[in-house]
Amino acid sequence: MHMGTKHHIMGLFTDEARAAETIAALKASTFNLLRVHGPIPGHKVTDALNLKKSRVGYFTLIGGILGFFTGFALAVFTADQWILIVSGKPIRAFVPFFIVGFEFTILFSVFGNVVGMLTQTRLPRFKLPETYDPRCSGSHFGILAACPAGEQEKLIDFFKQKGAEIRIFD
Amino acid sequence: MADRLSYSQIDQTVLDTLEPPGRTYWVVLAALFGGVLIGAACWVYQIFVGIGVAGQNIPVAWGTYLINFVFWVGIAHSGTLISAILHLFRAGWRNPIARAAETMTVFAVCIAGLFPFIHLGRVWVVYYMLPYPNQRNLWPNFQSPLVFDVVAISTYLMVSSLFWYTGMLPDLATIRDRAVGVRKKIFTVLSLGWTGDFEQWRHYGRAYLFFAALATPLVISVHSVVSWDFALGVVPGWHTTIFAPYFVAGAIHSGLAMVITLMIPLRKIFHYERIITLDVLENVAKTIIFTGLIVGFAYSTEFFIAAYSHNIVEQETFRWRAVGEYGFGFWIMMVCNALVPLLFFIKKIRRTIGWLFCISIFVNIGMWFERFVIIIGSVAHGFMPHAWGLYAPTLIEFGIMLGSFCLFFFLYLLFVKHMPSVSMTEIKEAATGKDAHGH
Repeated sequence: MHMGTKHHIMGLFTDEARAAETIAALKASTFNLLRVHGPIPGHKVTDALNLKKSRVGYFTLIGGILGFFTGFALAVFTADQWILIVSGKPIRAFVPFFIVGFEFTILFSVFGNVVGMLTQTRLPRFKLPETYDPRCSGSHFGILAACPAGEQEKLIDFFKQKGAEIRIFD
Repeated sequence: MADRLSYSQIDQTVLDTLEPPGRTYWVVLAALFGGVLIGAACWVYQIFVGIGVAGQNIPVAWGTYLINFVFWVGIAHSGTLISAILHLFRAGWRNPIARAAETMTVFAVCIAGLFPFIHLGRVWVVYYMLPYPNQRNLWPNFQSPLVFDVVAISTYLMVSSLFWYTGMLPDLATIRDRAVGVRKKIFTVLSLGWTGDFEQWRHYGRAYLFFAALATPLVISVHSVVSWDFALGVVPGWHTTIFAPYFVAGAIHSGLAMVITLMIPLRKIFHYERIITLDVLENVAKTIIFTGLIVGFAYSTEFFIAAYSHNIVEQETFRWRAVGEYGFGFWIMMVCNALVPLLFFIKKIRRTIGWLFCISIFVNIGMWFERFVIIIGSVAHGFMPHAWGLYAPTLIEFGIMLGSFCLFFFLYLLFVKHMPSVSMTEIKEAATGKDAHGH
């Protein structure tokens, strides 16, 4: 973020519908919509932002496939280390090994899911952005917009007309 | 009602619970810790003297340690039912109790996981359970249900802990933003830098959905695997194909009862009446009727199959189960699990706090005895009459059992006073009429 050249102003709304309307209007304006924060993943804001589907699922899927083969291979490998046939039963008993494969599928899918979520959301990040308002984790939807120097009054007026509380960052 | 609360009222109600506790809290916590110490002392004594200080002996080699293991795994299951399965079914009433139920799950699995260690006697050889070869290159046998269990329970512990923690992230950020000093620093680390950016929500919502979708088959598989610890053994009373669904239903039955047992004091002490409403508790009670009917049906089916099979060993096992030396356990199980929950058919009963609490305690007791009847009753009265024998727990086992219950409530009390025991995010979603986590 180029804090020096642009001014960053956040409009804070307690009403999600108003926040969604403002996002739509902001997109149609010359101002630059940077981020939207909210206490819940409200549908109206999500729709207004027109967010794409997350790719976390690919990580989950890859984790699951790896998990199944890891679990199954572990069971087969360990069985092969002690080839002593008991009562004519198979050394590689695929039905019970499937259970091990299943549990590993779930475990590794979840690991993949967590890795996917952390990498996609870019967490953990122990220093919060300077342009974050703590009210956004409580009851406000915060729309962060940027404008060139000299146009900050216009942006403030824009937010005020929509009924927002204003937070100026620079 | 939750939908009458504003976002800030929801935050305030939950954040108020994190205020420094009074003297009573510390006294109760200290008493529970005393119970934990008793349990720990009994375990240490057993380690030094030997597993013989417990009452297990041939033919009953699995005593209260295994009963408690299955009991706590069962308790753990309804947390996932509430947080994952009901999430997938879009049952909005689960939102106020999801966090508390997930917490119950995590602590219950931890405690369940202790019992195989305790039951081992020589706890220092616990690594034999891990996929690790001994000096003769002999690995754990992955055809054994006991090894399935190690894999399943470890997976369940990891998955439920990650699910629980992921679900807490937005709430931890809410606390961080209102905390000061060291507390702020701690919650800054715990919340991983969550800011509620919609870019974060986009991925988080998807990940949460996958968590729920993965936890659902897992929870069913875990208690099925636990049931196979028994069902794959050729023991009359154990060796039956209905064990997996029967155990899963029983697990959810006991877990839901424990949810009510925990929620009633929680809502009273923390003034959660407007969040954990009577409607929510009523819905849990209705689900208990359903699971109670399933377990009642399973108990009856076992008797029917024994009679219908013309297998005299099965017939004798089940005759003895009802009228033998452990008949009291069978009737406690039958009355508490299958009959008492039917009282919830009466609307006034399922909407009265006193009744809800009492019936939940009955079901908890009944479900403990269900495991007693299955585990002890079956091996005590096997194929050969000359090998029949009885078992009674010793004081050491009672001490360890007391310790396990105290440890559970100790951890739970610590949690509810230091972390958000109700998901603020999900209550806000419910108040806005959204489904949980953006779906």
